[in-house]
Formats: sequence, structure tokens, C-alpha cells
Amino acid sequence: MSALLEVAGVSVAFDGFKAINNLSFEIEEAELRAIIGPNGAGKTTFMDIVTGKTRPDKGRVTWGPSNISLLRKSEAQIARLGIGRKFQRPTVFEDQSVFDNLVMALKKPRGPMSAILYRRDEADTDRIHALAEEIGLTKELARRSGELSHGQKQWLEIGMLLAQDPQLLLVDEPAAGMTVGERQHTTRLLRDVAKTRAVIVVEHDMEFVRALDCRVTVLHEGSVLAEGTLDHVTQDQRVIDVYLGRSGER
Amino acid sequence: MRRSILSQPSVIIVLLLLTAFTVAVVGMSEAAGGTLSTSLVKTLGMTLCLCLVAIAMDLVWGYCGILSLGHFAFFGLGGYMVGMWIMYARTEQIVVQAAQAATLPPTPQEIRDAIGTQIFGVVGGARIPPIWTFADSLWIQLLLVVLVPGILALVFGWLAFRSRVTGVYLSILTQAMTLALSLYLFQNDSGLRGNNGLSGLQNIPGWESTPQSVVSIYFFVASAIALGAGYVLAAWIVSGKFGSVVRGIRDDEARVRFLGYQVEHYKLFVFTLTAVIAGIAGALYYPQAGIINPAEIAPIASIYLAVWVAIGGRGRLYGAIIGAAFVSLLSTWFTGGRAPDINLGFATIQWVDWWQVLLGVAFVCVTLFAPKGIGGLVDYVVRKP
Repeated sequence: MSALLEVAGVSVAFDGFKAINNLSFEIEEAELRAIIGPNGAGKTTFMDIVTGKTRPDKGRVTWGPSNISLLRKSEAQIARLGIGRKFQRPTVFEDQSVFDNLVMALKKPRGPMSAILYRRDEADTDRIHALAEEIGLTKELARRSGELSHGQKQWLEIGMLLAQDPQLLLVDEPAAGMTVGERQHTTRLLRDVAKTRAVIVVEHDMEFVRALDCRVTVLHEGSVLAEGTLDHVTQDQRVIDVYLGRSGER
Repeated sequence: MRRSILSQPSVIIVLLLLTAFTVAVVGMSEAAGGTLSTSLVKTLGMTLCLCLVAIAMDLVWGYCGILSLGHFAFFGLGGYMVGMWIMYARTEQIVVQAAQAATLPPTPQEIRDAIGTQIFGVVGGARIPPIWTFADSLWIQLLLVVLVPGILALVFGWLAFRSRVTGVYLSILTQAMTLALSLYLFQNDSGLRGNNGLSGLQNIPGWESTPQSVVSIYFFVASAIALGAGYVLAAWIVSGKFGSVVRGIRDDEARVRFLGYQVEHYKLFVFTLTAVIAGIAGALYYPQAGIINPAEIAPIASIYLAVWVAIGGRGRLYGAIIGAAFVSLLSTWFTGGRAPDINLGFATIQWVDWWQVLLGVAFVCVTLFAPKGIGGLVDYVVRKP
């Protein structure tokens, strides 16, 4: 068994504050994983390291069957290797239509010349309509994405993530600002995607994590505190002390 | 699946208006027996060149979000490159003509020395500097119109974008670039005649027997064609996915990176392409102006360029044309001494000086109250679906 992504002994400090402290983490090729932890536990920094936004002070991050190191790669190179990211605050290109946002995300050659010479074919159009159907934005395709509601922007960003066709999806708080029905849809979608790809979900909402029904990694002060099923970690005394007890959630 | 670029309403309207304007000006020119003076035809032709460089500015700033305050340096370099050929070839003719009176035919070296003295005597030199090596070849100098601004932009852009210099820091860096270039050219030993610049550029070698009224028409039409072609090219590259990506870079650069696009490559592409367009515009402008000197590429010139685009309206291409034409023509009128002075009793507003104040106030007002510029008025007329 080879891990798709392996993070080993990674540390990073900002002005002396250790945001990530000797963190190790692995995920398989088709696995759904939830990462939980209190504020400041290093969840976002972890994602920044994997996606190349932050360079760790030490440790290694390797990717794929041939264990390519991601440490010297740029954000764009890492994205092209097949790691997609959805941000906590939905960031779509508000000035452009939903359709154009999806076109930009479609997995295609990314160079300037290929973008200039790009001609959308039937298959691409079909793919965009299928994605729009999936994220419930078929009627909004021609609209400027800045006009969408918060929840719809969340969906659009999920759609853009799917359009990239990544092997690993990093999803930061997908359910924030969604209705109950939408949460269920998101849950279904993520579980579905995780049948063929790796998905890492960072989430605060315990109900949502429970519905995902997957392995859970608890981060605390930049390292892994516990790992296992949700029931397993929620019974861990240390987890209760640092996280669950304090925030008052079940 | 992409609609043809020529089916976009704004492209059609711009091309039709440009064609109508060109036909009207040519028809009313002195050369065709009309009343439009040659100097006015030249001013209008130069304005078209300014519109072209404004389109380049809109591409790089309005679409890609790079507030370059150095694009006039590329414009000036284009002018210098073509100016070198004009001056060299013209001086060569004069020297050869003068030598015909002599008893012995001059050797090629003597001709070269005489040309050197003619051109560089004014800065106390007689030798032809190495950068004038190809000045006798029109074709190589025309190639340099594209290559010199292009390569400068490529190197400068590569260094700046690779280090992720953005925003106001990049603007300052581009100002520094154009200032450094201008200061360098001011030096007498820069090889481009210091503050004298290159002059007599309206005398195109080979067209001695053609009157200036006709030459001005040639350049006017060439400028119009270049503007039309530049507009179509710009509209074409921003109409598809490339346009989406660069506008994405303008709005949220980091997000574009996480989609897998190498943002630096896109910026470098746009920066270099627009530098080349600026160079071509400059190469058409200065033969109409007749003279180029280092003051032309002073930092303020590039700032004006940004002001034109802001007043005309960013990110809509035709806005750049409106802004450049409107402001530069008004500027010509106000600074030409034809605007009536206003006597306030205690002081007199002389527009030659106060025009700059008016322009400054207009810029502040547009920024505060009409961020879409004059071009934004179009949105009131055409409601977008």
C-alpha cells in the first residue's frame, strides 16, 4: 500500500510561533478524511503547505506513486499535478460568468498560448453542463458569479474543483452557510468523489463530519492529536480536553 | 465554438467609426484639395498612435491588473529605432550629394565619417556608435522596433514577476525603469544624441519629392490601420479563455495559481506583447512628430497614459481609445494657446498652465465618482442581459 500524499515530520514557524510542529500525515488514493481541530490548530497552514503556498522549515511532503517532493514546486505546478483546493471563503471570479469560471477550471493545458488558441468543443460544453447540473447551477450559467448567493458560490467553487479533475481534493469548510438540504447533497457528493479520489475535508461542524462517516484526524497545536473513527477520537480524553470540552460541542 | 471576433458589436462599431474617420480626414485633407491642414492631419495621426498605446495599456492594466507606469519607454524606444534609420539614411543622402561636387569620389569610409560628423557633431562626437550598426537597413531597424521593446519588457518582466513584485511596488519599479532609460538617453555619450534626440524625422528618405501633405496622409492611414489591427488583436486575445485567465489574475492572482495556471507566464506574455504594441505605435508616431528626445519617455508620460485609460474606462478597450483621443486632443487645444484665458479680476487662468490642474481634477473626479470612466456611459445605453 502506497500513500497518495505523505507528509512526514513537517514543521513551520511564523515569527517563532510554531504553526505546524512535527506533523505527519498520510492519505490513500481513494479515501475520505476529515480534519478537525480548534482554531489555530494548524488546519489551514497544513493545507497551505500541501498546496505550495507555505514552505515548511523542515520535513518532507511527497506525492504520488513515484514520491515526487512537493517542497520545491510552485502552487501552479502542484495544482497541475492533481491537487485541487477549495477555500473556506468562497473565492470565485465574481466579474465573470458561472460558465467562464467553470471553463477556466476545466482540466486542459494551462499555458498562455494554449489559452489563447483554446476552442471549446462539444465535449467540454457537455462536461460543463453536467457539472452545472451536479452543483445545481444550470439556470445560473450565464449569470455573473458575483451575483450568486453565498451558498451558490460555495457550489460553484466545488464545481470548479471537480472540473479540475484532481486526484486529491482539499476542501475547507464546504458546508459553511449551506442549508440542511445542501449539506446532505454536499455529503453525498464528497462521499461519491472519494470512491475514486482522495478527499480531505477540514470542518468544524461535528454533525457534518459524522455524516461523512470517515476517518478523522484531530489536529492540535500543529500536530496530530488523535486519528481514527469519529467515535474513537471523540472518546479520547485528550481530544475531549483540548477541543470538544472547550467548545461545548458533542 | 468561439464566435468570430468580427461579430462582436464593439469591434464592428470601432472598426466602422475608425474607417469613417479615416476616409473623412483623407477626403478633407490638403492633399485631396480639402481644408484640413497638414499639421492637423499629423496631430490626428499621432492621436491614433496614442490610442494604440492606450490599448496596450488597457490590456496590461485594465485586463491583467498590472499598473505599469513605464509603457511609454517602449513607445519611445520604438520611435528611436525607426528614427535612427530615418536620420542615418537621410544624412547619407545629403553627404553623398555634397560629395558629388568633389573631384575625387569619396571612399565608403569617408562617407561614413562624414555621416558620423553630421549626426554626432552636435554632441561632440564624430564616430558612429555601435548601436547604429544596422541604421542603414530599414528592415533591420523595423525589426528592432519590435525586438528592443520586446526584449527589454521580457527581461524586466521576468525579473519582476518571478520575484512576485505586484501592486504599487511594481508600478514604482516601472517608473524607475523609464526614468533610468530617460536619464541614460539624456547623456551625450549614450549614442542617441543626448538631449538633442533625433530630429528631422518627418523627412522620410526616398520620399523627398513627395510633399509633406501627402506624407502626412500616408502616416495617418498607416496609423489608422495599425490601430484597427491592434484593436482586433487585443479584442481577440481577451475574448476567450486567455481573457478569463488574465482577468482572474487581475481580481485574485492567488486563486488563479491554485487552478494550476502559471501566473508569471501570463503576466510576462501580456507585458511583453503590450510593450511590442507600444513600440510599433511609437515607430508610427515620431515620424509624424518629426522629433524624439529623452524627455518623451520621462516618467510623467507613462503616468499620462494611465490617466487616459482611467478617464476613458478600464477593461473595455474602446475606453482606452476614447480616453487617449479625448484627453490628448483636449491637451493639444488647451496647450496650443487657442483656449481663451479667463480673467477672474484678481488672477487670470491661462490654460497653458492650468490645463494640468484641470486634468488632475478630472482624474480625481473620475476615480472617485466614475470608476468606469467615460466608457462606462456605454453601459447606460446598452443594458447587459
